[in-house]
Parts: sequence; structure tokens; C-alpha cells
Amino acid sequence: MTGQLVQILEGNTFVVSDEQGDIEASGTDPTGLFSFDTRFLSRWVLTIDGQRLSALSTDDLQYFQARFFLVPGSADVYVNATLTVIRQREVADGFHEELRVFNHSSEPADLRIRIDAASDFADLFEVKDALAKKGRYRNRVADRSLILGYERETFVRETWISASAKASVDENGLSFSVTVPAHGEWSTELDVVVSLGKLDTPAAQHADRRGQRKARRDMARGLEKWLNHAPRLECDWEPLAQIYRRCLTDLAALRFSPLTMPGHSMPAAGLPWFMTIFGRDSIFTSLQALPFTSELAATTLRALGERQGTRIDDFRDEDPGRILHEQRYGELTAFEERPHSPYYGSADATPLYLVLLDEYERWTGDAKLVRDLEHTARAALNWIDEFADLRGDGYVWYQRRNATTGLENQCWKDSWDSISYRNGDLPGFPRATCELQGYAYDAKVRAARLARGVWRDAAFADRLEKEAADLKRRFNRDFWIADGEYFAVALDCDGRPVDSLTSNIGHLLWSGIVDKSKARAIARHLTGPQLFSGWGVRTLAEGEARYNPIGYHTGTVWPFDNSFIAWGLRRYGFKAEAASVTAGILEAAEVFGGRLPEAFGGYPRHLTRYPVQYPTACSPQAWSTGAPLLLLRTALGLEPHDDHLLIDPALPKRIGHLELLEVPGRWKRMDAFGRGLIDTDRLTSR
Amino acid sequence: MRTERAASAQRDADPVGQFFTGLAEAGYLATFDRESATLRFDLVDGEAVERWYVAVHDGSVTVARQRRPAEAIVRIDRAHFAAIIAGRLNAQAALLRGLLTCEGSMAAVMTFQRCLPGSPNSTGRVTPICGETAAAGRRTT
Repeated sequence: MTGQLVQILEGNTFVVSDEQGDIEASGTDPTGLFSFDTRFLSRWVLTIDGQRLSALSTDDLQYFQARFFLVPGSADVYVNATLTVIRQREVADGFHEELRVFNHSSEPADLRIRIDAASDFADLFEVKDALAKKGRYRNRVADRSLILGYERETFVRETWISASAKASVDENGLSFSVTVPAHGEWSTELDVVVSLGKLDTPAAQHADRRGQRKARRDMARGLEKWLNHAPRLECDWEPLAQIYRRCLTDLAALRFSPLTMPGHSMPAAGLPWFMTIFGRDSIFTSLQALPFTSELAATTLRALGERQGTRIDDFRDEDPGRILHEQRYGELTAFEERPHSPYYGSADATPLYLVLLDEYERWTGDAKLVRDLEHTARAALNWIDEFADLRGDGYVWYQRRNATTGLENQCWKDSWDSISYRNGDLPGFPRATCELQGYAYDAKVRAARLARGVWRDAAFADRLEKEAADLKRRFNRDFWIADGEYFAVALDCDGRPVDSLTSNIGHLLWSGIVDKSKARAIARHLTGPQLFSGWGVRTLAEGEARYNPIGYHTGTVWPFDNSFIAWGLRRYGFKAEAASVTAGILEAAEVFGGRLPEAFGGYPRHLTRYPVQYPTACSPQAWSTGAPLLLLRTALGLEPHDDHLLIDPALPKRIGHLELLEVPGRWKRMDAFGRGLIDTDRLTSR
Repeated sequence: MRTERAASAQRDADPVGQFFTGLAEAGYLATFDRESATLRFDLVDGEAVERWYVAVHDGSVTVARQRRPAEAIVRIDRAHFAAIIAGRLNAQAALLRGLLTCEGSMAAVMTFQRCLPGSPNSTGRVTPICGETAAAGRRTT
């Protein structure tokens, strides 16, 4: 397939087609209509008199809607075309397509219009890994509809295709024999509806799904309302306004309604492959977005709480109290060939859940949610002590119990080579990465505040604070690399430090676990030449054996990572360093047209001039979308303090005057102002 | 008399009956702390349908057989339900597979499934992979 792919979506339903609006997927090709992690259409091709069409133009009208202007024939002959076709498509539990054919000649046109349709019902995992199907296909024609079906035992998935105009329906598509009058028009509406078999057959469930459908539609239509509800941004530096608007629009597209909470939205992880619940991604993105919208955090907390682990299940790496890593709905998950029902193999989601719960309360004052989730929060705290401490030494460790389909690295740097010694060797398992200890420390400090203020359990609060202080003391002793003056990325299975220099130390500042006396050295490293590229902090420092400027977690710059590093630098008072990270990432966002990729190359800025995008199929990515939002928060120094919003700007000079108006929170709405006074050129010109 | 005793023994040995009796005896479901819902279970065995109600109010559980309104209705073959409560079948996978259908509040069912056991083969334990052999093996990956 040549040309650009067009993708539209709503919730976890999305359509990826070519510029003509056609779908011709084969094997691992990522085009099609997808819903609930299953491909429901792998073929959807429009022809007129047996001829394919060419695109004159394609418009993404909204994230859930696209329009294709087409003419019959291939690109080199269409100049004399007397027919124009407009295909307008909208995602809604499948999709709805309006097909209009215009005859521009003075003679009537007799046409045979055809839609070829087929589905391979591939699980998303099968699309990625090219696996073979185990069930049977069963297509049939009924009620003037074409029903594409797939069955494996009681697992049934169907695609219902129907048209408003009179069609002749066969098992491979729909045909229309029409006469379009001179200077006239013919049109039909096409509906493609996905069915999850018994998951939605009972009558009541249908009503429920209709309700969900309506809720989803309302959510999509509410885009303008969503944009208007967010704080207004005024700024001297024009690109920032564009970046801000892009972030809000992308965040709207990334909203996802859990099956248990129709009408409420939480951030999915990324488009198109990760439109599902991820513990870590949903939590980080909710944290980044809190000053702009708190609804995402509220839904994330409830949805992850509902699915919190309660039992020992080795296949799913589930333990009591553990917050999930990833939920999926496809065939491989249904037949327990993959563990995502849900899969729990993440060591950071549980402490981060507690961090989000506290940060949410500090912004919103919603003590009711904190009370409702008290049991969940206590179970999460218990997980940290009872189930994560695999070596019994008071640290959070991870090692998968599902050795075939589980995840090896259960921290955000989850690729196989992300955690290494300086000489490039990889440690064994279990591993205790440093940022996990920071999150656990922060989780306990924050939970102590909630225990005292909301759960009214002072004894519990005292205990948590004592444990946190003890963890901090031990951590600063055991992880410190004295000759390099930074923290080891991890402890290995023998309890020895894994000594490479990584961006993880920035998350330590964010968590507050770093002794004040060591913070200056950490800030120096984060903005030093080994880690700071001029655009941002590299995942792994230049000079380490595995450093590679385009290595996924071994040298690239991740915008999300940097946004939390900037927050950490501000927490310890390093205003100029935080402003430099902010300037670098926002300037990169400017180059990327407002939409930051998941990661970009770690080359020194003076070498490439432009940030080099890491090739990835997933864009926008939720936590990259959230990065500029968190950077705005840290640059303005927004901190909730009881019923007030503290504002302490430390902006890069380039930004000039900045206003963030009507920031929502327990203070109702507050305006924040700042002026760029910090010269960041010294670092960002590196 | 002997038949009665046999029937009673059979009831005692029936894991499904024991599961519900166990819930009633425990009297508390921590996952429903601060939540309330009534769930109806229709357990299908050929032509017969065995019906159980589990009502939870702020965590306190009562189990009943008599008809009452329910927020959620779960329908499943009795044999599959037995597999679920023995930890041999995951409830969420069963839902996706179409073995279990759910009408009404999906949230209540989600909360309920958290009281189900994990796989009996799960130990929760894992053997560390340490030392130079592990590192050498990894380097070639």
C-alpha cells in the first residue's frame, strides 16, 4: 500500500484505511476496522464499474470522522472524469459511511457500484505477530445484510453490513446497479456494526450497549465543550498555543470508556494499538493532566481499583493488591493463550496508583473518592510490603512468574536490554530498579497524609511515615554510586548496584526520596553532557556500553520521562535546570508540529539540528501528549496547598509572557501568570 | 433414611453449594467495601436452572434462593461455574469467550469476580535467575 494511512477512532473502535478510504489488509498489515482488540473488517474496497478510485483529497474532519473526495480510475487518467465520489465515514460501534456519487455529465450514467467486504477477525496480537486462526469463518446473507462471522467454540464475533439503498448482497459484498441522472446525484448510507457474540446478545445488554453507544457519541460530540472547559492559554511564544491545542485535542481522542463505567473517560495508552486500559500509562497521563482536567484521574482510579488483583495467579502475574498492567478483549486473551484478562506484570503501577490518589485529592478536594477507595489503597500498600519485596530486604523487586508471555522488565523501561551495568552486562532477576523505590517512598508519604486527613487513622499514618523514612535512609545508602555521585539504576539479584547512569535518577527527584545533600549532584548529571542532549534527558547516558542514540530505552529522549524529571528538578528547587528541560522538550514539540512522539533520538542537538523521531507505530501516545501539560504546570510552579493554588513561575526566556487562565481545582478557578526570565540557551544549544 | 443422608452428603460435597454457603458464612466481601449490589446467578445444567442470589451491602453478604430484584444477572453452565470457583477457569476470560453472559451492571460483576480464587497451580513463588550464567545467556539475546 502506498500513500498515507487515514485513521479515525472512538474509544477502542478505530478504522485505519488508505487515502481512498479502502481497506486491504493482509497478514500483519495494520489496516482495518478494529474494536475490542479484534479486526472486524480486513477488506472494504469500493469500485465503480469494476474500477478502483483515486483520492483527490482526504480530510480528517474530527478524530472520529473522515471525508474522502474520489474519482474513478488511477491517478493518471482522472482528469477527464465526469464522476465524483464523496465518502464520509464516522466511527460508532463499527462505522457509518455515507457514499455519494455525483454525475457531472449531461447524460445519465448507468453504474455498477460495488463494496467488497471481508474479515479475518484477527486478534490485535495476531496482527502484530502474524499468528494463524483456530476457529471457523461463517459468512451469510440475511435480512438484506451481509454478516461476516467467526466462531471458535462459544467465542463468536460478527460484522453486520447493511445499506439504506437497494443492494444485491452476496457473501463477499454489496452491489448497487444504479442510474445517476445527468448532473444528478445518487447516495446510500452504509452501516458496519460489530457484534461481540454473547458478550452483547441478551436484550437488556443491547439496551445497555445502546446507552453506551449514546454515551460515547455524546463524548465525541463534546470535543468543543472539552476544549472550552480546559484552562485558556495566552502566550508570547506562538508555538506554545499550537502545542497546547494539539495536546488537548489528542487527549480528547485518547479518552476511553471502561465497560464498567459507560460515559466516564480515562486515558488509553496510545493510538491505535494501545486503546485500552494500561495501569502505568493511564496513571502517568492522568497525573500530567490533573491541572487541566481531573475527570481522567477520577475514572482511572475507579477503573483500576475495580480491577485490582485479589489472588495469586502466576499466569497473569497477579497478586492481592496489585494494580493491573494491561487489559485486552481479543480471542487470544479469551482463550487464555495470552494473560491479558487482565495482566498484572507491572511493579510501578501499584505505588503510582497511590501517588495519583493523593495528588487527585490535593487538586480536587474529592475526599469521597479517597474514602471509597480506602480498602483499595490499603491493599495496594500491603502489596508493596508483602508481595513486591521478593528478596525480603524492604525494596520493591520484580520478576515474572509467567515465563513465556509475561513481561521481563516490569518498569516503564520495559524492553529486554533497558537495565544494564556500565559495561553492558545485563543483571539477573529479580531486579529492583531505583525509581520503583522512589515511587514506593512517595506512595507511603502520600498515603500517610490521606490516612491522617481522610481515613482518620493516625496510627497507620505514623507507621507509613516511619517506613518511608526508613526506606529513604536505606535507599540513599544502598543505591548510591559514590565515585560517580549518582544512584544506580537498580540492584541486581545479589543486591549489588547496577551501576549505569540513566534518566531514572530524575524520577527519584520527583518522588522526594533523594537526600538533600545528594540532590545537587543529581541535577548536575541530568543537565550534564552525558545525559542532556540539548533537547532533553536521554534514557541512558552517552558513554555507557549500551548507549545508542536510537536505542528504545538505551539512549533516546522520552518526552514523558522529561516532564517528570522537570517536576523533580522543581521539587528540589533547581529552577534553571527544570526550565532548560522544559525549553528543550517544548522546542522539540514545535519541530514536530505540536505532537510529540513517544521518543526521539538522543543525538546531541548541535549535531542533527532537528530531533530525529524514533520509528514507532503508535501516535499520539498518551503520556507524550500529556508531557507539555505537565511541563506547563512545572514551569508555572503550580502546587495545590489546601484550598489555594500556589504559583511560582520559572519560565524559559523564550516563552515570554504566559497566562494560564481559569485553572480548575478545589479553589474553583484560578489564573496563573508568568514571564520568561531564565536563559536556557547555554544548555539547549548543546 | 439412608437416601436422605446420601443426598445431604452429596450436597456437602457439591463445590457450588459449598461456595455459596461459604460466602454466607463468611458474611463479608472486602471487595464490596462501600459498595452495594445484588447479583443473580443462573447456573444452567441441561434443562434445569439453579438460581442463587448474592446480596452485598457495604461488604456484608447474604445469600438466598428466593426471587428478588438484582442489579446483575450472570448466566453460565453449572460445570463452567464449578471450574471458575475452583480457579481452573478465569471469569473474565470466560466472559470474553461467551461461556458466561452478564446482564445489567458489569461493574457489580467485576467487583464480584475479585473474590474468586486463582489457579490451584499458582504458587506465587519464582526462582531467582542470578549470577554469571544468567548474564552470559542474556548477552546473546
